[in-house]
Amino acid sequence: MNTNRARVALVIGSGSVKCAAAIGIQNVLTREGIGLDMVVGCSAGSIFAGLMASGHSGETAARMTAQLWTKELTGKRNTLALLQAVAPRLLRFDVARFGLRDDKLIRERLKHVFGDSRIEDMGIPLHVTATDFANGELVVLSHGSVADAIRASVALPFAFSPVRIDGKLLIDGFLADPLPVSVAMKHGANVIIAVGFESPYQESVRSPGRFAFQLSSIMSNNLLKSRFGFHSLAHHSEVIAIIPEFKQRVRLFDTEKIGYIIEEGERAAEEQLPYLRDLLAAARTALPQE
Amino acid sequence: MEIAIRAISEFDVTVIEITGSVDSLTSEKLIGALNDQLEQDRVRLVADLSGVEYTSSAGLRALLITLKDARRRGGDFRLASVRPPVMRVLELSGFTSILSLFPDVEAAVASFTLRSA
Repeated sequence: MNTNRARVALVIGSGSVKCAAAIGIQNVLTREGIGLDMVVGCSAGSIFAGLMASGHSGETAARMTAQLWTKELTGKRNTLALLQAVAPRLLRFDVARFGLRDDKLIRERLKHVFGDSRIEDMGIPLHVTATDFANGELVVLSHGSVADAIRASVALPFAFSPVRIDGKLLIDGFLADPLPVSVAMKHGANVIIAVGFESPYQESVRSPGRFAFQLSSIMSNNLLKSRFGFHSLAHHSEVIAIIPEFKQRVRLFDTEKIGYIIEEGERAAEEQLPYLRDLLAAARTALPQE
Repeated sequence: MEIAIRAISEFDVTVIEITGSVDSLTSEKLIGALNDQLEQDRVRLVADLSGVEYTSSAGLRALLITLKDARRRGGDFRLASVRPPVMRVLELSGFTSILSLFPDVEAAVASFTLRSA
């Protein structure tokens, strides 16, 4: 346990492959010898949070991501779910299994990367967020299977089916909070490095799928701002927002751009580094020893 | 962080030039400087942020405290020349919907003459 210094958390919000920017931030923090007391991940951010908490280097995390996060994840249709959507009464619509894409491959890949690892055994305390389908509340998974928790956190509505954990039916974490800094606050972090992304808006909407994506972006971006604004003001933890800028368009499965995304994460982290150094130095003298 | 105060008597507006970072290490100094102005009944405030590279949640809290106090006293607190890194944090936190932002100090000062603060 770190003593005589601030409790530092890294919160990685939702953002598909853009979340790989967290690897760039990890690289900068590692180089500077800045340790993390906890990692929080939401949606795709939970994959990178899991990789970091497992102790993987930035280089290994990048390689694993390139293998894990590819277009094939959504390549296979779940035909039964599609038919159930068209004729719900006839085919007995089942919310717990409703996802238009087959989730076998993503489950296999998460299992391949994280094996039987458990959250409570991670080298760095890990918290994965999801959303309770019954009431919309933020659910924080701080124990149990890492692979199952991440699968729940990335249960993108319509695409992947919900996941039942501890009796709750869970869906993608971004629906409750796309950048859950509150989790780090609740677990005692007083310096929170928050890496967040707004969902991209569609350049053109020519299909019901794109229409749904656009609605989702509108709602999640408004939710992101309201939650982040509220928690930044309501608590006294210091939140350092890192918002990487991508001049190149990064789509959901642009895994070939991981190198570029990591570079942008590093660049954004470098911008905040002088302040972070000063803040941690001040905390060393200001905070009482534990 | 450096703070310079410049009163523009013609429009009864006070411009506060801030240089550096607005964060937990500097926010108390900023709140104090802004509060001094409000205590002197200078309630039409413009913060020139052209020299500010960064703000954190503590900086946001400082801006909100001043905004609320200025408006409570019948004035306003407006921002000018916000640089992209600060703008990103203001946008992410929804602050752009509650604070009035202007491209430069002149525009921010002039805004007070267009309607009463």
